[in-house]
Amino acid sequence: MLEILLSQTVSGLVLGGLYVLIAIGLSIIFGLLGIVNFAHGAFFTLGAYLALTLVETFGWPAILLSPIIVGGIGMVAERLLIRRLYDKEPLISLIVTFALALLIEATVRLIYGGIGQPFSPPPFMSGFLVWGPILITKYRVGVLATTATVLLLLWLFLEKTPFGRILRAGSRDPEMVGLLGINLPKVLTWVFGLGCAISGIAGMLAAPLWTVTPAMATNAIMPAFVVVAIGGLGSFAGAVIAGLLVGVVVALTIQFWPEASGAVMYLFMALMLLLRPRGLLGERWERFE
Amino acid sequence: MIIETKLLIPRRKALLGAAGLAALPFAAPHIARAADPLKIGLLLAKTGQIAGQTEYLANGTMLALEQRNGSIMGQPAELVWLDEPSPQGATQNMQKLVQENKVCAVLGGALSSNALAEEAKAAELKIPFVCDNAAATDITGKNCNRYTFRLNTPVAVQCRMLAPYALQYGKKWYHITASFAFGQDILKSSRELLKAAGGTEVGVDEVPLNTADFSSFILKIRQARPDVVVGGLSAGDLTTFLKQWNELGMKGKIPFVEIAIGDTDIWGVGPEAANGTFTKLWDAYNPNNTPEEKAFAAAYLKKYGKPAADKAWMGWITARSLFESIDAAKSTDANKIIEALEAWKVPAGNASYSYRKFDHQMLLRNLAVSVREKITDKYDYFDVKATLPENPADLDKVFGTPEDVGCKMG
Repeated sequence: MLEILLSQTVSGLVLGGLYVLIAIGLSIIFGLLGIVNFAHGAFFTLGAYLALTLVETFGWPAILLSPIIVGGIGMVAERLLIRRLYDKEPLISLIVTFALALLIEATVRLIYGGIGQPFSPPPFMSGFLVWGPILITKYRVGVLATTATVLLLLWLFLEKTPFGRILRAGSRDPEMVGLLGINLPKVLTWVFGLGCAISGIAGMLAAPLWTVTPAMATNAIMPAFVVVAIGGLGSFAGAVIAGLLVGVVVALTIQFWPEASGAVMYLFMALMLLLRPRGLLGERWERFE
Repeated sequence: MIIETKLLIPRRKALLGAAGLAALPFAAPHIARAADPLKIGLLLAKTGQIAGQTEYLANGTMLALEQRNGSIMGQPAELVWLDEPSPQGATQNMQKLVQENKVCAVLGGALSSNALAEEAKAAELKIPFVCDNAAATDITGKNCNRYTFRLNTPVAVQCRMLAPYALQYGKKWYHITASFAFGQDILKSSRELLKAAGGTEVGVDEVPLNTADFSSFILKIRQARPDVVVGGLSAGDLTTFLKQWNELGMKGKIPFVEIAIGDTDIWGVGPEAANGTFTKLWDAYNPNNTPEEKAFAAAYLKKYGKPAADKAWMGWITARSLFESIDAAKSTDANKIIEALEAWKVPAGNASYSYRKFDHQMLLRNLAVSVREKITDKYDYFDVKATLPENPADLDKVFGTPEDVGCKMG
């Protein structure tokens, strides 16, 4: 039994890693911009499709451009659309970002068609690693390692750089940051682009594992919201812990009660919100009170 | 400067003329109707994991109308396509098609759960409904009704056709099926067949729709060491499963079989990962296709720039059956269309396509196909192993007697 539990836990950590990456961008955008970005899953889809196109056109190294392009598209969307929502009712931002998600999905469908696009892991990452009872593919180890690296770099960026300090300060008191002479609107454009780029990384990593279709965001956006709600809105560490927990809980539920594997994350979220309405590491945000 | 304007027609006469024109449809309804296009409803999912299949179903349907120069009964005809996002949403849209768009019949029903709800609504609205994709047994079984016709071979029948191929590998089966009508139907039928063959179910997983990661399920299958995995996953979920099945090194180690798949499900898997033995209704590369089907495949390739998937053919043949039946009925009256659909029959090689009168199920032979070892064309994946039943005379028997089927139309 211990062998089964270990295997499923490792499998759950890989899934959880993807959830973390999707959720962390959502969390950063909410924390710093105050926007609940329903289009976040669409940027995940864009990351997957761009990865596919870049690999087919230029080869595997070009895949690294995918999240950069997604980030760039995110910045354009912020300048043209999202920026107008900062002082509006939250409901308006929900509707507008939902419309943006539909627009992106329809555009992808128009270009690539509605059917799944074949995409497999790179040849240099095919094969397995077997540690006792644990079987994991090299590609999944790569996904875990990439996730950990991205999270570490992001944490260093937010905590140890002057730009990161501006972001954190701006999220708490944008007015004061503005009075200090910092061009906050420009900063917010970069933040939105960063959040979208991280979602693009998740899409790029998921593309060889999941089915690449215009609707693939459905499988990403709901777990991302669940992870953010469990971890606490705007909390970096909360999203990481919650994402990994959700992945492991889903994997273990598949082992023991597969029919419930689709619902378990929502039950987990409901339980968490009952016990801790702000989520695991959620803090009080004066701006949103 | 004041410009004086003068009406060429006095105001009172103009008003009278306008009122007369507005009243014309009421005074002479036959003239107004002749100009109106005849409307056919199309109820197919526009998003979600089934959207890859519905794109082809819709393309095939539209091509069928185009090949008739866009007319039915010598009158311009148009398709009104609404979404089927869920069983409830689908029935609401069917009501909208009938009451607002005034369609005379509805084509569609991509997912079994939707189609079961849609057929009940069709009976309530008294509108002919021709289901082009869903395979749940009950659609033309115990839930059948006078207004519903169905193309796809019922799950129970397809399971009987596939069982000998699964049994070739052994009698220890693992079931992995979708936790909705289609998957539950496969599980029930497959378990009965396995029991009858004296086999053992070594594991079963009922998987939620839109599952993104199957690795935990695949680990369970690996632990259970079955002789064969019998699948019941639909569309995009099947694609994801097969991708991850290969990624986790299971391709070629444990055989995988499933009924009622679509070409698009396998195209999405890719040549490296695709594998398995399946049943499906039609294959664009099958040399036994009729001349009409070959012409359809050529027309599809010309129009859309890629080969016709089996789902495109399913949309096309279902639409043809309806359009030709309306022509034969010479009326949009539901009862007359139903009678014409019951009488509709076209040759298909040494067999024919037709709907059975007692359950409105289309009788047609299925293909047993296997993914070939080496794939050189990204649209041509399958070797046709057999056309089932081998003897067309057995069709009626294979699809079951009225007692087997349990359809009572009343």
